[in-house]
Amino acid sequence: MFLLIEEYYSILILLLVSIGLACIILGASYFLGVQKPDTEKVSVYECGFNPYEDSRNKFDVRFYLIAILFIVFDLEAMFLFPWAISLSQISSMGFWTMVDFLFELTVGFIYIWKMGALEWE
Amino acid sequence: MDFSLIYQNNFKVFFPEMFLATSILLLTLHGTFLSTSRSLGFPLIIRSFLKLCILVLLLTFFLLNNGGLFFMLTYQNTFLFDFLTFNVKQILVIFSIFCLAVSEQSIVDNRLNNFEYLLLILCAILGLFFLVSSYDLISLYLALEMQSLCLYVLAASHKNSSFSTEAGLKYFILGSFSSALFLFGVSLLYGCTGTTNFENFSLLFATANHDFLMLNSLIEKSLICIAVAFFFKVAAAPFHMWSPDVYEGSPTSSTVFFAVVPKIALFSVFLRFFQNIFFSFGEAFLLALLFCSVLSVIVGSFVALKQKKLKRILAYSSISHVGYLLLAFSSNSLYGTQSLFFYLVVYMLTSICLWSFVFSLNNTKNAHKSKTLIDVSSVALLNPVLGFTGLLAFFSLAGVPPLAGFFAKMEIFICSIGSSLFFASIIAILSSVISSFFYIRLIKSIYFEQKGDNCFTFPVSRFCSLIMGVSLFLLLFFFFNPSLLLLLSQKMALCLF
Repeated sequence: MFLLIEEYYSILILLLVSIGLACIILGASYFLGVQKPDTEKVSVYECGFNPYEDSRNKFDVRFYLIAILFIVFDLEAMFLFPWAISLSQISSMGFWTMVDFLFELTVGFIYIWKMGALEWE
Repeated sequence: MDFSLIYQNNFKVFFPEMFLATSILLLTLHGTFLSTSRSLGFPLIIRSFLKLCILVLLLTFFLLNNGGLFFMLTYQNTFLFDFLTFNVKQILVIFSIFCLAVSEQSIVDNRLNNFEYLLLILCAILGLFFLVSSYDLISLYLALEMQSLCLYVLAASHKNSSFSTEAGLKYFILGSFSSALFLFGVSLLYGCTGTTNFENFSLLFATANHDFLMLNSLIEKSLICIAVAFFFKVAAAPFHMWSPDVYEGSPTSSTVFFAVVPKIALFSVFLRFFQNIFFSFGEAFLLALLFCSVLSVIVGSFVALKQKKLKRILAYSSISHVGYLLLAFSSNSLYGTQSLFFYLVVYMLTSICLWSFVFSLNNTKNAHKSKTLIDVSSVALLNPVLGFTGLLAFFSLAGVPPLAGFFAKMEIFICSIGSSLFFASIIAILSSVISSFFYIRLIKSIYFEQKGDNCFTFPVSRFCSLIMGVSLFLLLFFFFNPSLLLLLSQKMALCLF
């Protein structure tokens, strides 16, 4: 029982603090903020689409492009976190492998930037 | 793994691949900055870029030769380097250079002005390099995906043509279906044995008697799944439906690459997988191999009779040739593997010659259209040398004696009869007689048919004529002196036994 408290004590505190903080922030903005609702403000926001419509409409291919680029750079972050955690255990080989990966990613980034894939118009 | 060790051996054997990868990155930057440069007026760099790519491939070829011969397993046994991989890579690079050089004029004419097109070809070659060397199911899968993803984009690269888009989509969907089958087989295999490494597999199945495993039937099923994925990738008969459409729809410069280059890499790595590693499971997949081989020979020869377009005819002829290759594969002997490699190299030579022949058929009327049977008529009258080249190439494909294609076919039939595959060999021989009909029909229209309308033919591009000449010379040379190629293919085959 002592071990349980020892191990999970910090998590309990974290849970309590985060719930409390969330309640305080949400409550403060709800009670203290000025509220003037109109149709634009209360409608559901969905990246430029109507949230409820026929799903078989044409839409701009640029959304795909952004989505694909987002996936690439999002996966990069997913790749970096475990690497950063385990950096003390992997040798210089692991370090330089990631540097190599980042170099190649940078080349790709320069490519999409220069080709104008990041510009909306 | 210690970082300093990478400079000792791993780096040495991986040097061509590292060079190719680094040059791809540099070429990306070069193309990006040059083609978006406002001060230079957004230049079209496709011609110079193509020559740069050929230069990079040439340097890769020299680096490959510089490496020397040895046997080595690197990166925790995921990659293998031996005589087979060394030779297959050499052949790959040479034929990629041929493909790039042959398709230069076509790339410019079709306005494939994106430099990414050539970068994707280089990436596909890099993927094929990794595929040839892979010695683990995971590295095999990743390399397979790397090359196929590049090929999907190459098929769809003609942006204005809906045929090209259709070809790319078809290729992508069926290719990913076959990859899914491959992954399914791999996961079954991993579930049964707990390993993905070829080294471990070969140790596990070293004895002929492995009934103690209790999971033999499941392993056999997984091997069938992997074999089906392989049949998809090389377009063998029941799984060939994508290939004529993709060949026809994609721009001809991509079609040449699909038709000539990837087969030898796929065959070498799957020969290693099935004949070397899973040799003791032979009876499980040999029947499937034989079935596919007979069916692709029949389908390839009969369906091609009804085709009107040159690209489709060549696609079906490549299906029937894959059938002959699989016949040699299913004889499951050293001689069979040797004749397979011999046939493969001769086939690649013949088809690069034929494709450059197709590239040279341009005239003022058909310049941007898909070539049909009418376009080859009276070529011999307009350009006798070109007509004679077409004649010899079609004869070599059909297997007529004074050319290397005859020896290649003969060896395959001898080894399949030697392995007592009598029925399959008889069907293959009879189908090859039928398939020689449409080759001879093409020759007839090259020599004896008159073209109805008047038009001017464009001159044959210099690279095309050079490569046609070299490949024709080699086709004749290997008839009179086949021992060079035979020795090479025997050494390659010996790596698998």
